[in-house]
Amino acid sequence: MEEVKCYMPQTLAEALQIRKDTGAQPLAGGSDLMVANSRGAGIVPGFKKPILIISNLPELKGIRQLEDGTVEIGALSTSWEIHTSPVTHPLLKDAASRMGAIALRNSATIGGNIGNASPKGDMPQPLILLDAEVVLQSVDGERRMKVDDFIIKTKVTAIRDDELITKVVIPPQKFTHIFFRKIGMRRSNAISKLTLSAAANIQDGVVVDFRASSGAAGPKVERSREVESLLIGHKVAELPDLKGAFLDAWCSDVIAPHAMPEYRRNATRRMLEYFIDSLVAGHPEGRVE
Amino acid sequence: MYNDVRFTLNGQPMVYTGNPLRRLLDVLREDYGLTGSKEGCGEGECGACSIIKNGKLVTPCIIPVGSIQGAELLTIEGIRDTEKGKCIIEAYAEGGAVQCGFCIPGMVMATYVLLNENPDPTEDEIRLGISGNLCRCTGYDLIVESIHLAAQKGAALWKK
Repeated sequence: MEEVKCYMPQTLAEALQIRKDTGAQPLAGGSDLMVANSRGAGIVPGFKKPILIISNLPELKGIRQLEDGTVEIGALSTSWEIHTSPVTHPLLKDAASRMGAIALRNSATIGGNIGNASPKGDMPQPLILLDAEVVLQSVDGERRMKVDDFIIKTKVTAIRDDELITKVVIPPQKFTHIFFRKIGMRRSNAISKLTLSAAANIQDGVVVDFRASSGAAGPKVERSREVESLLIGHKVAELPDLKGAFLDAWCSDVIAPHAMPEYRRNATRRMLEYFIDSLVAGHPEGRVE
Repeated sequence: MYNDVRFTLNGQPMVYTGNPLRRLLDVLREDYGLTGSKEGCGEGECGACSIIKNGKLVTPCIIPVGSIQGAELLTIEGIRDTEKGKCIIEAYAEGGAVQCGFCIPGMVMATYVLLNENPDPTEDEIRLGISGNLCRCTGYDLIVESIHLAAQKGAALWKK
């Protein structure tokens, strides 16, 4: 196999120009691309396209909170940085802290996790619940889109050949209750078999907001505002009567697991029901364990 | 644009001019003769190749050498003669942590990072600290006990 060209830009401007001129594939942490293209010990991985190593671009690093509570996460932020940041949302911290092994969490980046568009990717799942946006930059400018719209299906995103993911933007959140589960083969160092985030905002006994997102349960992270709306605006006291329709819709229509579908539908149903029942039982505000 | 890769390896400044897409693990083993890092899975899951990059544990089997521009790398060869390194190695020997030994360099690197960050870890914290390092021989218990031993015996070292 012929060796592909590799570019090592020092600045974002340089990287964007190379991206435009060559369409080279961006490589950030390498944890997906190096494995996907591996040819074994002692052999250079068999990349099919030229590679643009963006690992060291200072413009894509750092996590900050803006005055209105919006959180901007540089695309090169690692899982560890996201997990330990004082300003990232707890649901995103949970997902980041459970990705792979310790060493992987020090390499893998949020931009890569989104761009790789695996339905088992850990971070897109809470990001989609949180209405997060990706910022896509090219030499011609910048555009933003919801992570939910950016990831189209397994391994397919809306990125153009001249763009780089530069940031992830999470709007301010107002939830009284949050819930996160990751099911894997073991507690650490495991790929997700099934994940779920759920969040609710309960004010004066009324469900002001309710969201859920399911990972590893379809060709992409699955969320449905339409099904969520079955619960929104109702009193908590009405949830026992409403939850059946919600759970039926979520577990049969929203998620679309291709393997072991009965297991994934049942496990998702039980997790969501547990969360809803906790709300009905008056669980104190915060994380539902 | 960078035309080479400059980094620090066990305290020595290095300039790498080869293919930036080679795996850092291959460069360490073949170009620099640092064979303490072992290749197990080649996918960042087993931890046998673990080294320390800017103070953090990483697996060089999934890192292209072109991405470590400016980094400070420490391998097992860089810590084995230090006080902290000797403390861990002696504790592993005394505690009987080693059977075949293949996972041990990576395990020692994970221990080094763990004790630097947490000089007095609980058993759970130790198990979490080495959760990315797989061992097929020991069943882990003697490794966990040996890490306890390293924390106790080296207390002053780790607390700085």
